[in-house]
Amino acid sequence: MMEKILLKTEAADIEAYIKAGGYQALRKALAMKSEDVTAEVKKSNLRGRGGAGFPTGLKWSFIPKANTKPRYLVCNADESEPGTFKDRELILKNPHLLIEGLAIASYAIGAKQCYIYIRGEFAKETGLLSDCVNEASKRGYLGNNILSSGFDLNIAVHRGAGAYICGEETALLESIEGKRGLPRLKPPFPAVVGLFGCPTVINNVETLASVPAIIEKGGDWYSKLGAGKSAGTKLFSVSGPVKKPGVYEIELGMPFKKFLEDYAGGMLEGSKLKAVIPGGSSVPVLTAAEALKMNLDYESVQQAGSMLGSGGIIILDDKACMVETLLVLAKFYHHESCGQCTPCREGGGWIEKLLRKLEAGKGKEGDIALIYSIAENMLARTLCPLGDALAMPVMSFITKFRPEFEAHAAGNGCGKREAGSGKSTQ
Amino acid sequence: MPKITIDGKTIDLPAGATILQAAQALGIYIPRYCYHPALSVSGTCRMCAVEVDKAPKLQIACATEIADGMIARTDTAAVKKARKDVLEFLLANHPVDCPICDQAGECSLQDYYMDYGLHKSRVAPEDKIQRSKHRAAGRYLVLDNERCILCTRCVRFCDEVTKTNELTVSGRSDASFIDIREGKSLDNDYSLNIAELCPVGAFTSRDFRFKQRVWFLKRIKSVCTGCAAGCNIEVHYNENTVYRLMPSPNPETNTWLCDRGRMTYKALQAGDRLRKAFVKKGSMEIEPAIRHAAHLLDEAARKTGPESVVVLGSPYLSIEDNLALAELAATSLKTSNLCLDFPREQGVKDGILINKDDAPDANGLKLLKARYAGLDQGALIELINSGRIKLIVAEARALSSLKEKLRELSNIETVILAVTKSDLDFESACVLPYAANFETEGHFVNYKGLLQKTTPSVAAPDGVKPLWTVLSKLSSCTGAPIRLEDAAELRERISEFIK
Repeated sequence: MMEKILLKTEAADIEAYIKAGGYQALRKALAMKSEDVTAEVKKSNLRGRGGAGFPTGLKWSFIPKANTKPRYLVCNADESEPGTFKDRELILKNPHLLIEGLAIASYAIGAKQCYIYIRGEFAKETGLLSDCVNEASKRGYLGNNILSSGFDLNIAVHRGAGAYICGEETALLESIEGKRGLPRLKPPFPAVVGLFGCPTVINNVETLASVPAIIEKGGDWYSKLGAGKSAGTKLFSVSGPVKKPGVYEIELGMPFKKFLEDYAGGMLEGSKLKAVIPGGSSVPVLTAAEALKMNLDYESVQQAGSMLGSGGIIILDDKACMVETLLVLAKFYHHESCGQCTPCREGGGWIEKLLRKLEAGKGKEGDIALIYSIAENMLARTLCPLGDALAMPVMSFITKFRPEFEAHAAGNGCGKREAGSGKSTQ
Repeated sequence: MPKITIDGKTIDLPAGATILQAAQALGIYIPRYCYHPALSVSGTCRMCAVEVDKAPKLQIACATEIADGMIARTDTAAVKKARKDVLEFLLANHPVDCPICDQAGECSLQDYYMDYGLHKSRVAPEDKIQRSKHRAAGRYLVLDNERCILCTRCVRFCDEVTKTNELTVSGRSDASFIDIREGKSLDNDYSLNIAELCPVGAFTSRDFRFKQRVWFLKRIKSVCTGCAAGCNIEVHYNENTVYRLMPSPNPETNTWLCDRGRMTYKALQAGDRLRKAFVKKGSMEIEPAIRHAAHLLDEAARKTGPESVVVLGSPYLSIEDNLALAELAATSLKTSNLCLDFPREQGVKDGILINKDDAPDANGLKLLKARYAGLDQGALIELINSGRIKLIVAEARALSSLKEKLRELSNIETVILAVTKSDLDFESACVLPYAANFETEGHFVNYKGLLQKTTPSVAAPDGVKPLWTVLSKLSSCTGAPIRLEDAAELRERISEFIK
């Protein structure tokens, strides 16, 4: 039986949420010692759902105990990666689950102020969350002396201004502080010097929404869901030529093949699976054969040569031109580079220009090797992961689909697209 | 203290030190663009990447703090490749217009390319991004965004040192560029430091632009005499012309140099530089003018007695020159009307360098006052008001404070000592020129009491001599000679003041 936690109830309305047992986990948490709440989350083996998969309880415990400055919890709702749209779904369908998770996490780390940094384009979701925060405050789940526990918490919904880089946690902090969204040098890490120079925990929407169930049913229970080190359930957003694109919650460890067939409804008629980008557009691409062997958990996807990332699964079929697809990604990462550090600032545009020529059939011999080499020179050399987010797709696309690139370099295109038109010829 | 080993050499430094600082202490050079010891660490150029044991990827030396037992390497293939790759990225959109760039010869892009790059360009010329090339940036600078490598030293300088925040980075990705904030102009008092901080040719000095290739410049250390700060400088000159002044960092005095200080050399070249003497507005050769001045002195002494002559010292002059003035009064003219009392308000005016006192040697003058006493300012004014004074010998700027008084009392004549015409704001019976600070050695005592020496870098115009020489000649023509004929004599006489 597949357990559902995140999309179990679909109750944007607080009454319905409460009726379904909502905010009981908060009541339970507030009766516990804050360190016991953290201990429970540690026990659950919950890992960050934003992409990095860092153990959540451990992250909370990095807040220095002796530091007397205010502490902040920041919810990263700046979901902007191409192919990833799970947090938006969660916010729309179950906003109070997130708010309850925020309240529990804030209690655990001792934060009295919490920020939800939400993607600028999410206008509707921003309004919904603001309303929900107000509703929750009215009923005493937020504000002063929550449920007579003596715990105070205020939540501010802060809407971003449209920069992908602000999803990087330190750029996000800069943005909340009113500065340009430039990633900070680490260390110091946000747990020590975060928002306004104070200890700060930054968690993804889905991560925080997983917390109430852990408190309600226990860390042990949660840790037994999923597959080993990949505990619990996870949302996967699947897009591309499948019958049922959308957001699905599954226990980690499900074979990708089963997910594709049973949840995404299989490939569209006439479409044949060619490649899969399993964790949002920044992770290495997998061939169909590689993808069909893997399970959807952190370890298995890594073994297959990619990363589980955010769980944004992009399906590519035999009609997709890999050069054009990579060009779309290169354009995105070039455009979204903050421009602060050298390799990412200079490499992205260079790769895009070369790919553009290649895609238009104007590439030169050696361009493929050059593109690969530029990506290689960006990899692991930048201040934040955005450089890698372009380098990894570039290197994997070229490695795994080289003949397509070579056909383009020879001026033959790939037969799938009219060269340079950007339009399908099919 | 944590102990770190870099390239096999070990050192222990206080906790908090970075790998870059440790390498520096070990004499290992790590190339860098954005790092500057006087600015915050931005960690963005990625040029200083080094290998650190157990770290999965290269670490930037400027931002990585040392830890006990840390082992770092700067000489591995991975480090060499990383440097080469960063250079390739930085040059990808660079115009490589070195032949018309003033930075050529002292450009970190050029130097590092030779040291670490030497790659063939892989960028197609049509793929290069074109940017704005010569944007005026304040009084003294030109900004060439095409040459910029976005190290942001300039931005951090304006944020952290002058705290005037004129600069920012606009745009993002490879459309980023250094920009002047709306409503601002890059006109802080230290703007020329930006040209120097800029590791490439993005910010260049309008004053220096196209004047001289830097490899022709000779460099000599000296002291700025633009105010009481006593900043240490490096004079860059060639073929008897000074081209620019740069700071010569000294923890006791300065890291930077203000724009006004940097421009002090202009007095040498300006059209108003005095190359000849003046007698009643008429130009005259210096030697006969000295004799004429002696005649004026003799006449005043003969007609109204030596006490009708006043000699002023000056906070703008070196100890040497003030000594010569004091001696002229005491030994030669035998007048007790010597004034060495010029009270000045001192202290750092702007929290950075510029001093409230624009004279470089008020404290040196105090040393002479202790020896020669003389009139204080009050007594001097009283004396002038008494009508007993017929002639004043003074340096132009020292006399400036008395000019209103002297205009009222039109019966007082003056012998003025000056470097430029613009220093003369008072009509004089006789003006004698002398060598400027870049042309002669002189001792100065800054506001903190630090005794320092200027070093000559260029020769004075024909016939123009140091002031102590001029005064010595003057003394030989009237009364008793003060005997400051040569440098050896001078050195002996001032030795008691410069211990």
